[in-house]
Amino acid sequence: MIVNDIFMKIPKDIILSKGKNKIQLIFSDLNKVSLDAEFLRVKSPSAEVRGHGPDDAITVYGKKSVLISKLELVGNYAIRIFFDDNHSTGIYTWNYLDELYKNRDNIWNDYISELRLKKLNRE
Amino acid sequence: MPVIKELVLEKLSGILIDESKDSSNIVAAGLVSEIVIANDRVFFAISAKKEEKDKFEIVRKKAEEVVKTIPGVNVVRVSLTSHDKSPSDLSRNDNTKKASNKQSVEGIKYIVAVASGKGGVGKSTTAVNLALSFRNLGLSIGILDADIYGPSVPKLLGLKGRPNPGTGKKIQPLNAYGIAAMSMGFLVDEETPMIWRGPMVISAITQMLREVDWGDIDILIVDMPPGTGDVQLTMAQNVPIIGSVIVSTPQDLALIDARKGISMFQKVNIPVLGIIENMSTFICPKCGEASHIFGKEGAMKEAKKSGVPYLGDIPLEIDIRVGSDLGKPIVEFNPGSICSQSYNRIANDIWLKINSSEKLQIVPNIIYEE
Repeated sequence: MIVNDIFMKIPKDIILSKGKNKIQLIFSDLNKVSLDAEFLRVKSPSAEVRGHGPDDAITVYGKKSVLISKLELVGNYAIRIFFDDNHSTGIYTWNYLDELYKNRDNIWNDYISELRLKKLNRE
Repeated sequence: MPVIKELVLEKLSGILIDESKDSSNIVAAGLVSEIVIANDRVFFAISAKKEEKDKFEIVRKKAEEVVKTIPGVNVVRVSLTSHDKSPSDLSRNDNTKKASNKQSVEGIKYIVAVASGKGGVGKSTTAVNLALSFRNLGLSIGILDADIYGPSVPKLLGLKGRPNPGTGKKIQPLNAYGIAAMSMGFLVDEETPMIWRGPMVISAITQMLREVDWGDIDILIVDMPPGTGDVQLTMAQNVPIIGSVIVSTPQDLALIDARKGISMFQKVNIPVLGIIENMSTFICPKCGEASHIFGKEGAMKEAKKSGVPYLGDIPLEIDIRVGSDLGKPIVEFNPGSICSQSYNRIANDIWLKINSSEKLQIVPNIIYEE
């Protein structure tokens, strides 16, 4: 049986915070990471956001106060996140979540520069 | 000092639902969710009926207090989750772990997908014979023919006729050789093509899986259609598949697609239990010489390359083909043959793998803080 490293990326628990503005992933080694709703929303892997190619991708803005209303498991490999702005087509695989929190700072900084460049803002 | 779950449970079982003496404690009543312990923090939820929320607020506070007294515990967060079900339902459904595992199919313990990538490599024949081999191991087996456009299971099992309505809304599967079977082929004539787009296919498969009275089944074998499209994706997203078995001939042409199948399952985090090389050799009935018609050991090499287990080979045997066309699978009608023994050995191997891969599957708990 091949145990690929994805097993390390599957959280044991996914906790939606009381304020609904972040999720916390707890792994079996008790390592914990937390991701903000805004970050997850603007980086949704949905085709609505990413388009069907880099040229189609859109910059999501004005989501500073977006909240998460529901989480749903997708098979063995992902969660689907329902946001309160009715966006719910993003399927976040364990790999994608891993990528998001490992590179959180870079991704976030790039996003902020992108907003600035396009004269958009978070509010 | 690490906090031990048992200790938390022990403390909690001292808390009664009601002050009255004869009330049961919250642990015994199944009201306590999975307990999450992270270093010095303890999280869990207590289920309460909506109308009893006030009463349970006292219980909640008490729970927090007692858990805090455990050495090593710094932070305790207990939430109340409300619903309108009776406690007996709660212990079954509302333990957070089970609530998040809502995809499971009633009565079915494990679901195994038999897939190939390429069509015509003997996937359905393999699925049916493996089903019989599993049955020989004493397991109760069902087979779901997920190939809507080209259902083969009815023919392979020699089944004709339509399923009967069963209890409630569910329909009864047909049965052959002790195996419960469901196929689109039972619902339409053999000559009638299904000219359907994806969403229709998905809804048909979902119905054939969930609206069939399978009874108690150890393994449901899903005979997948070729490809990596709608059906495969739906199965991956909505059905708790414990693992997949890839069937391929040793031929490069088939292996290319088998590789895609493997990599699809890996992407959606469904363990690949292994590859079976079908039609591996042809033994000439006249001279006994083995010919590698489709090439030699292709699937074995592919398994090595992809890092998935190799389960074994099934020769290209005229008896398999004849039996398949007559609806008399070889494992049932010629159990002593080399092919049947191969199927049995492979089934045994898969069963062992299922039992060990169960431990590998992590189903995350989804927890809403309240």
